[in-house]
Amino acid sequence: MSEHEHAACGCREYHELSRRNFIVGTAGATVFGAILPAWLPKVVLARSEVSSRDIIVNIFQRGGADGLSLVAPFADANYYTARPALAIPRPDSGDANRGTALDNTFQFPRPMLGLLPAYQAGELLCVHGAGLAYSSRSHFDAQRFIEVGKAADLTITTGWLGRHLATTEAMRPGATLRGLAMSSGLPTDLTGGPKTLPIPDPATYAIGGSATTRDARADWLATDFFLDQEPARSSALDATATLALLRSINFTGYAPSNGAVYPNNGFGRSLRSAAALIKADIGVEAIQIDIGGWDTHVQQDPLAGAMYNLMLTFGNAVGAFWADVLQGNGNYNVTLVAMSEFGRNVRQNGSAGTDHGRGGVMFVMGHQITGGRVLTNNWLPLARENQQDGQDVRVTIDHRDILAEVVRNRLGNANLDLIWPGYTATMRGVTR
Amino acid sequence: MSGTAAEQLDESIESGGSAGIAGRAQGAQAAEDAEAERGRRAALKAGALAVAGLLLPSLAGAQGARRKGPGSDVPRPFGTPATLNLDPIDPTAAWVSPELRLVRRITMGLTDAEGQRARQLGYEGYLDYHLAADQIDDGAVTQYVATTWSYTTQNGDALYNIEQGTLQTQLTNAAIYRSAFSTRQLKERLVEFWTDHFNIDIQKVGYLKVLDDRDVVRQYAMTTFPQLLRASAHSPAMLSYLDQTISRRGSPNQNYAREIMELHTLGVNGGYTQNDVAELSRVLTGWTIAGRGVFTFDPNLHDYGAKTVLGITIPATTQASVGAAAQNEGEGIINVLVAHVSTATFVSQKMLRYFLRYDPTDEQVAQVASVYLTTGGDIKSMLRAVLSRQNVMSAPAKFKRPYHYVVSAVRALAPTVANVSTLAGQISVAGQAPYTYDTPDGYPDSAEYWSGNILPRWNSASFLANANSASSVQFNVTPFMTPATPSAIVGAIDRACFGGEMPQRLRDELVAYVSVNPTSTTRVRETIGLALSSSTFQYF
Repeated sequence: MSEHEHAACGCREYHELSRRNFIVGTAGATVFGAILPAWLPKVVLARSEVSSRDIIVNIFQRGGADGLSLVAPFADANYYTARPALAIPRPDSGDANRGTALDNTFQFPRPMLGLLPAYQAGELLCVHGAGLAYSSRSHFDAQRFIEVGKAADLTITTGWLGRHLATTEAMRPGATLRGLAMSSGLPTDLTGGPKTLPIPDPATYAIGGSATTRDARADWLATDFFLDQEPARSSALDATATLALLRSINFTGYAPSNGAVYPNNGFGRSLRSAAALIKADIGVEAIQIDIGGWDTHVQQDPLAGAMYNLMLTFGNAVGAFWADVLQGNGNYNVTLVAMSEFGRNVRQNGSAGTDHGRGGVMFVMGHQITGGRVLTNNWLPLARENQQDGQDVRVTIDHRDILAEVVRNRLGNANLDLIWPGYTATMRGVTR
Repeated sequence: MSGTAAEQLDESIESGGSAGIAGRAQGAQAAEDAEAERGRRAALKAGALAVAGLLLPSLAGAQGARRKGPGSDVPRPFGTPATLNLDPIDPTAAWVSPELRLVRRITMGLTDAEGQRARQLGYEGYLDYHLAADQIDDGAVTQYVATTWSYTTQNGDALYNIEQGTLQTQLTNAAIYRSAFSTRQLKERLVEFWTDHFNIDIQKVGYLKVLDDRDVVRQYAMTTFPQLLRASAHSPAMLSYLDQTISRRGSPNQNYAREIMELHTLGVNGGYTQNDVAELSRVLTGWTIAGRGVFTFDPNLHDYGAKTVLGITIPATTQASVGAAAQNEGEGIINVLVAHVSTATFVSQKMLRYFLRYDPTDEQVAQVASVYLTTGGDIKSMLRAVLSRQNVMSAPAKFKRPYHYVVSAVRALAPTVANVSTLAGQISVAGQAPYTYDTPDGYPDSAEYWSGNILPRWNSASFLANANSASSVQFNVTPFMTPATPSAIVGAIDRACFGGEMPQRLRDELVAYVSVNPTSTTRVRETIGLALSSSTFQYF
């Protein structure tokens, strides 16, 4: 996959960003008082307001995923005019690459059909015209603003998901690990979360060096740091405890339910590990997984090339996760959300790709999600006069509306004013 | 892509981490897919991590490990400590030598040689020695750096078109090499300090940071603060980083005007107002860049209206009557800033925090600030006040930041380093890749910020202790095993890493570990890795 990703990503800024990827400046602190911003004077640890809180799996599609390919507006002739080389053929066409209708307006392209069972079961919601209300086409700004939860405010260094964890009681009292990101560094979303670690691959999270002696060395370190000063002591013991905790889970032998098959690539394996973690029931309540490569400036090709392969990975992995964890009203209470920093221009560019746009698609999945539909807010035909700045899908649903409803109703945290300061979310009926 | 600095860093992480970084051992599999690739790239910029840890003095970690994980086997319990005395151990309790305490404070890491030098010269003599950095012969390192990373010696015309990642790699590797091996260790500590104080993200300004590092930070690191600030205010990198270069009459950008007061001089509570920021931004219109990294004042961009900054009124003029001399408006305000008592206090407080303790007393701050005011901000004089024997002997240990930690481990083991990118990768994974902190406040200086990301530090220690690659990093363990008895081995570790002041408890732990097989180089290397991973080695 690396080949097409490199070919597809022409944007210099994105290369820069993918090197930085995670915002160094938000590296977290271990002390409550230090991680919580000044505007958060009194933390109210919310008692759960719902009887069963969901675990959240938060997927960030980095690079600016093209919503008009992910959930394509087949009923709109403007779409076909704007994208002669990139449009997904209508579901009623005879084209082998035709999509599958989700309603009278939108369709999934072929590579996204892995998500159709979840959609048909009413557990997958697509949200179109979603995004950041603040106008930015910078990957860096848009990702940062979504992740910290407020646009253009450089004083906030923690992330919305981290603050959710910081302002609610642990689902499992005394849990060793409440949040994790399957990446080498902690993404900004999760920064500030207590008991939260970046764990690139839970199956191989271990102290370096000889596998034969690593348990003995972990023991040695736990003993050595046992009497260290804070905050290093807690950090070290959390690390050793997490090492032991993850070692106790058989990731490699994990057998998905319902015959679910995850793609054998990084994203697929991450979601598979997420399922294993959830089923191990160790008190993890937030899992972040990033999937990159969506910055499709050149040769986007949603029918057979770069975008096709990305969507195939995304659709099949998330679809497998649904089958594995959610299908058949399983006992696992999970809400999965996926979003990108922005969508892409309505019109294709001169390189058979698309440039940075505004409105995009969010996905929300779970037992208690009002799925099986494409949620929009005053969706209009993609005539130029209806486009944002004359070139983009309008942002008609603030991404925070979707997240806030999930946080309040599914994660049981009413501290929305602390998680998204200065914003009053509009509930869009995302949850049942 | 191949051959870029990012690739080299990636490779260094890959290879460097092969012994140390969990999850990369299965490199073949990981390499199959792009996401894993992306994940490693992310490591380059990976921030330090937020972790856990409410400061509850509890056994939560250990208890959590003992708790049965539902649906799985019972996690392996940890060894219980020999004592139930829960008072934390202060590593400085064993650090009785004033000279060695000073070495820890003013170098990038204690070595046997520096310890001996300090004991020989005495406390004051050793401080004098390092304060007179330009009299210490550092020719070998200077030559090596100039030869190996030659872009660090070149000017803007030669650098502007060089790929940014290449420049970043060269600058980073040169810094790490100097930090590890330069004889002018106090200067290197100061360079690190001023690099954060005048933070610039190379990812925003590219080659200009190479010039700034050499011609501003290194050039003036040990002179006076006013000289350093003026150099920074005329640095194309700084003006570019803080958007001064896009500021002009009618549409001033306040970024630099704000930060020069908030972060560089007065401090956020230093007595300026938002109106002062707005007015100073007008004063500074015209300060910009010409050509390839050359400061210039452009009279066509300047706002010639009347302004008032910090109570000082600058009367209205005209371009025709004043022209390029309008630059002096800004120079005048900078003169006011460097002479301001708030600047003396702010810089003193920060210097005390960096070299001495997180919580300097008001008296200590006032004392160093008075030195600032009486010496015209002489950095060496301020350091003498900061590093008085009384201050150093009463200061609690500080938690090393990742850069300091990795470099101090390198200094302790003195490996042969053929590929500095390997070390850069270790530092990056631990969260402190040089010159890439994106906001102007610089990498934080607190234990809370850094202590959460402990596993990469342990992995870095493990990597260094096991390093045995002539083309990358090679640590010769043989001298630590002569003779190969537990007490001799741990004694050698003590001399190399702790100046002979290893706490007894750590000594006992290491002896217990190595005693399993003291003649095994593998076991001895692991023991050394544990010594570097230990709680005590996290501090200085």
